[in-house]
Amino acid sequence: MERNLTHIALFAALIAVLGLIPKIDLISGVPITAQSLGIMLCGTVLGAKRGFLAVVLFVVLVAAGLPLLSGGRGGIGLFVGPSAGYLIGFPFAAFVAGLVVERWQVRVGVAAFAGAILGGIVVLYAFGIPGMALALGKTLPEAALLATPFLVGDLIKAVLAALVTQTIAQARPGALLSRA
Amino acid sequence: MAGSGIELRGVGYSVAGKAILTGIDLHLTESRIGIVGRNGSGKTSLLRVMAGLVAPSVGTVTVAGKDPARDRRAMLAQVGILFQNPDHQILFPTVGEELAFGLTQMGQSAKAARMAARALLANEGRAHWESAATHTLSQGQRQYLCLLAILAMQPATLLLDEPFAALDLPSQARLRRKLAGLGQQIITISHDPEAVADCDRVIWLEGGRVAMDGPAGPVLAAFTGEMARIGGLDADADLAS
Amino acid sequence: MLTLTSPVRTWAHGVRAWVKLGALCLWTVALLRIDGVWLAGAVVLVLALAASGGRVFLAQWLAMLRPLWPFAVLITLWQLWLGAPLGAWPIIARLGAAVGLANAVTMTTELAEIITLLTRLARPLARLGLNPKVLGLSVALVLRFVPVMLLRYDQIALAFRARSPRRPGWRILMPVLLAALDDADRVAEALRARGGAG
Repeated sequence: MERNLTHIALFAALIAVLGLIPKIDLISGVPITAQSLGIMLCGTVLGAKRGFLAVVLFVVLVAAGLPLLSGGRGGIGLFVGPSAGYLIGFPFAAFVAGLVVERWQVRVGVAAFAGAILGGIVVLYAFGIPGMALALGKTLPEAALLATPFLVGDLIKAVLAALVTQTIAQARPGALLSRA
Repeated sequence: MAGSGIELRGVGYSVAGKAILTGIDLHLTESRIGIVGRNGSGKTSLLRVMAGLVAPSVGTVTVAGKDPARDRRAMLAQVGILFQNPDHQILFPTVGEELAFGLTQMGQSAKAARMAARALLANEGRAHWESAATHTLSQGQRQYLCLLAILAMQPATLLLDEPFAALDLPSQARLRRKLAGLGQQIITISHDPEAVADCDRVIWLEGGRVAMDGPAGPVLAAFTGEMARIGGLDADADLAS
Repeated sequence: MLTLTSPVRTWAHGVRAWVKLGALCLWTVALLRIDGVWLAGAVVLVLALAASGGRVFLAQWLAMLRPLWPFAVLITLWQLWLGAPLGAWPIIARLGAAVGLANAVTMTTELAEIITLLTRLARPLARLGLNPKVLGLSVALVLRFVPVMLLRYDQIALAFRARSPRRPGWRILMPVLLAALDDADRVAEALRARGGAG
């Protein structure tokens, strides 16, 4: 019980920290924030249910007005703005990523990559694009076009999520709750 | 203080098949007890077993006649633990919340707990700490806060894990003075013989077993001698131990 | 922990959180249905509300709208390309009026008040097994550990730079993550030592 609670809370904190640290050079010269990587990792490391709750906790605190979103953003304004769909989709992205790792019993790195793509990209964009279309008064295809520049960064993050999850499986097998 | 005795009978503790503690039989009733051993000797595991944070793999542990791993609620009034790293112990963003938490856990109302925390800080001459953010406190101050949070719950026994290890000399002196004035039974764990030199009884743990048990003088003399001997050898490269 | 709450107290601080949030919901829905003069009126109203908080409040409020600029520019360029530049105005006006009021609510509502409201809203969930006390405890743990983990990250980045001429890349995430996992176990223990989460 305590262990579930602290993992959920500390991973919610981790998502915030990944958004607040200076941007990381993924491939030399392409700095991006690691926040959505944090969302993917919540699922692939903690599993569907705990990952979902960790991200819900994070999103609730952002809504409550804490500047925990990358760039120090926060507040309810985000939930009526263009990125509202992404914020609402975050917990579901983590849930699906976690579900894939739990259910698909292949090498954990492979399952984590598939989970990160399916949750962190497919599911997340399915929430994010309609949200953007609504806030910006665009059609769905138009909004989808606006989202495509982020696809490359998110694919790289899915690879990273897989690498990191695989490394945890080796370094702390007991801590990989999605496969516990 | 007698009566709060911690008793371990045939206690063994292993993690993933690896034995950490083996055949521990102890009855701890003295007011000041020290447990020494080098890194990896099982000191911290012993503390966790005594406090009931983990259940022993074999054997029984009783604190004031109760099983500490099962009867967590009763243990709140029996055992308080000061962890080695205050950052792993402080759960709340402000000092007031941190102090009040243990009291609400013991059944006080949120309001009563807040008042008690305020009174405790005022009594320590630190009333201005109440709304301070815990992460802005210095290492020594955080350790002190952890101690206050435990003392607020008035446990019969305090378990301290390397309490002086991360403190500078003035903070060490302050903590020593504070501890000396307490009526509770205190069990201190350390790799440093200095930290337990004033104890009524010292237990030397080696490889998960009790190597020696008795008055501080002879036990610490033997311990220091053996540590000096081991330190002289270049046997630190062994991974299998 | 830094919050986005305004440093100066305004009249809106005294209004109850649920009233402000309710008004915000109605406002956002209404914005999608109005146009023309009414929309212009809505923008003026939001500006007037922000200005009523005084100069310091207004400056902070404007700063919080800054993340919307890229979208405003994007929409304007898009509409220019479509050959209908005036089409950008209602979109930007709606967005600004909605986000503007929402930010004002965030700025005038104490974090503790929102957490209390959330705990109350979560009460029906108790039947599903979610203890409202656990929500408060989790929030406290997050607030406690964000600064701890940021500090840990800085230390690890420093240790990296001490031994490498390059900037710390993604590899540095690994020790940060492992430290978080270990912390979670230690903190669970500390929580158990003081009576658990129940």
